[in-house]
Amino acid sequence: MTVSAKKDSTYNTNNNTNNSRINDNSITTSKLSKTFENFKAVDSLTIKVDSGDIFGFLGPNGAGKTTTIRMLCGLLLPSSGSGKVGGYDIIKDSAKIRHIIGLLPESSGFYGWMNAEEYLTHFALLYKIDSDVARKRTKDLLEKMGLAEKAFAPISYYSRGMKQRLGLARILINEPHIIFLDEPTLGLDPKGQVEIRKVLLELNREKGVTILLSSHALREVSSLCNKIAIIDRGQLVSQGNIDELRLQSGLEQKIVIRVANNLRGRQRLANLPFSAAIETDNGSHLINIIIHNLSPISAVRNNNNNVDDDYHDDGINSILSHLMNQGLQIHDVQRPEIDLEEIFFKLIDSRQNNDDDNDAGVGLVEKRVREEKPREVRPH
Amino acid sequence: MALQLYKNEMSGSFYSWRGGAWIVAASMIFSLVAYLLLTDKELSLLDQGEMLFTLSEIVISLAIIMSVTLASSAISSEIELGTFESLLLTPLTGKQIAFQKLLSIITIWFLLYAVSIPYLLVISSGTNLSLSAIFYTGFYGTILVTAFSSLSIAISARVRSSKNSIMISLMILLILLAPSIFFATSLKKTSFGIALENINPVSHTMNSLDSVIVDNQQSPSEQDIHLASVIVFAVVCLLILLRLSHQFEVKPIQ
Repeated sequence: MTVSAKKDSTYNTNNNTNNSRINDNSITTSKLSKTFENFKAVDSLTIKVDSGDIFGFLGPNGAGKTTTIRMLCGLLLPSSGSGKVGGYDIIKDSAKIRHIIGLLPESSGFYGWMNAEEYLTHFALLYKIDSDVARKRTKDLLEKMGLAEKAFAPISYYSRGMKQRLGLARILINEPHIIFLDEPTLGLDPKGQVEIRKVLLELNREKGVTILLSSHALREVSSLCNKIAIIDRGQLVSQGNIDELRLQSGLEQKIVIRVANNLRGRQRLANLPFSAAIETDNGSHLINIIIHNLSPISAVRNNNNNVDDDYHDDGINSILSHLMNQGLQIHDVQRPEIDLEEIFFKLIDSRQNNDDDNDAGVGLVEKRVREEKPREVRPH
Repeated sequence: MALQLYKNEMSGSFYSWRGGAWIVAASMIFSLVAYLLLTDKELSLLDQGEMLFTLSEIVISLAIIMSVTLASSAISSEIELGTFESLLLTPLTGKQIAFQKLLSIITIWFLLYAVSIPYLLVISSGTNLSLSAIFYTGFYGTILVTAFSSLSIAISARVRSSKNSIMISLMILLILLAPSIFFATSLKKTSFGIALENINPVSHTMNSLDSVIVDNQQSPSEQDIHLASVIVFAVVCLLILLRLSHQFEVKPIQ
């Protein structure tokens, strides 16, 4: 996993940002809720994004991600709860928040009759950036986004990928400290996706920009984000780094030891002193010994609450020593990574199963009434 | 830059011919009306004041239709295009967005008005009505364009769909612009008809123009009731826009 660099923000802007908050690029919400008529889109959501984080914001369709982002950007008023973006209150200080943020929505619109150069300059001037600075920034951003060659073509002729890159250039025109991205690489070709990711990492590492990334591309989130929150039906399911999410999901890190598939091997594996699953494929010359839980080793955690690899290695070594003492020929040892996709589905499924269990035996009316009442955020 | 959005609106209007088309159409209509007034056997028998009043009426009517059509999609088209969010995220306030859009429509009205002046001068030549006709047409036109544009922008922001917004705005306009279509003469004389006539800014404008141009009552003091009614209507429309522009927010599509 790529961990984003955290640097102090020394981003220079022409905006009237207060010096006292210039290093605070964090995002926090506390029991944030939004109800549309009888539909609760966001329900007591509490998240914390530190300055300089690349924060993955995940959830199934309709989970409330976009509504949350819109509330954080000051485009929607919350029904209840509170939130802060860059130290500013999302209700009282939405005008100040606009100076320090950029939002790339899932489907942003463009003035098709403008060209990219006019479009970016137009937005720069709306941000009250001096016209010379605006022109220079526009030129730099168009080059950075690979749009310099088409800078004078009408936007209506742009492909989706080009528009997406132009949208990203637009949100960077005011040099924001915090950016919100809703499916930034949707519809982009693989090259375009890599380029966008590169720009985001650069922004984060070099300028300390905090990024809140909402995406369904779990591999992308996994490679970019140092922290992740998963929400479902407007409520927080889980929040933390990928190791913490894995622990919360209950998925066990497995270790696969492959040994030679021979008679002696099969006999010795019948009486192992530790818990393991044995997979033998008749056609294969290897036997898989799958150890799901290296307990008690896996339970040993260091001061930072992360699994300590030294202990892990010790555990594996003792198992390997035992196998070798038994005369087994060890081919290799693998530790397949549990990817974010598995964690995501496990967490969402567990939550939905819990909800289904809780709903069993509850009448429809009672269920509706209960759903309309604010619910507590799950501890994480 | 204070009026950057206004500049963008103006370029958009003329690039897409929304604004330009109105100017071209208006000049064609003015030419046709002037030609008919001067050459048609029956129309040329009209008193010169009545000819001038007819032309002023047409200028004002076209201005209102133009402003309603342009303004009723001012916000909703941005919402439909997906550009409204990015506008709201700039330091521009809702009030600035609304009023810069309003200003761009008023500018197009001024262009249309400038095109109408030579026609008003030609029709009024040889009378002492030229200046009054130009002044009152410009004055009432500006007030009504401001009022109807404000109302239509407010409807556009509230309804959030260009189709519905245009439909509602045109319906309001139709009721005010052509009461004769909806009410028979006997109905006009009922208390309801009289009440509607008294609050109808378009009726007040037309009655005032008639009084100034046809009856030659050119002093503003003789038009005070009409002027006051139209100004009050405009102030109410501006207040509605002001109130709604404070509440611009983007709702997610569920």
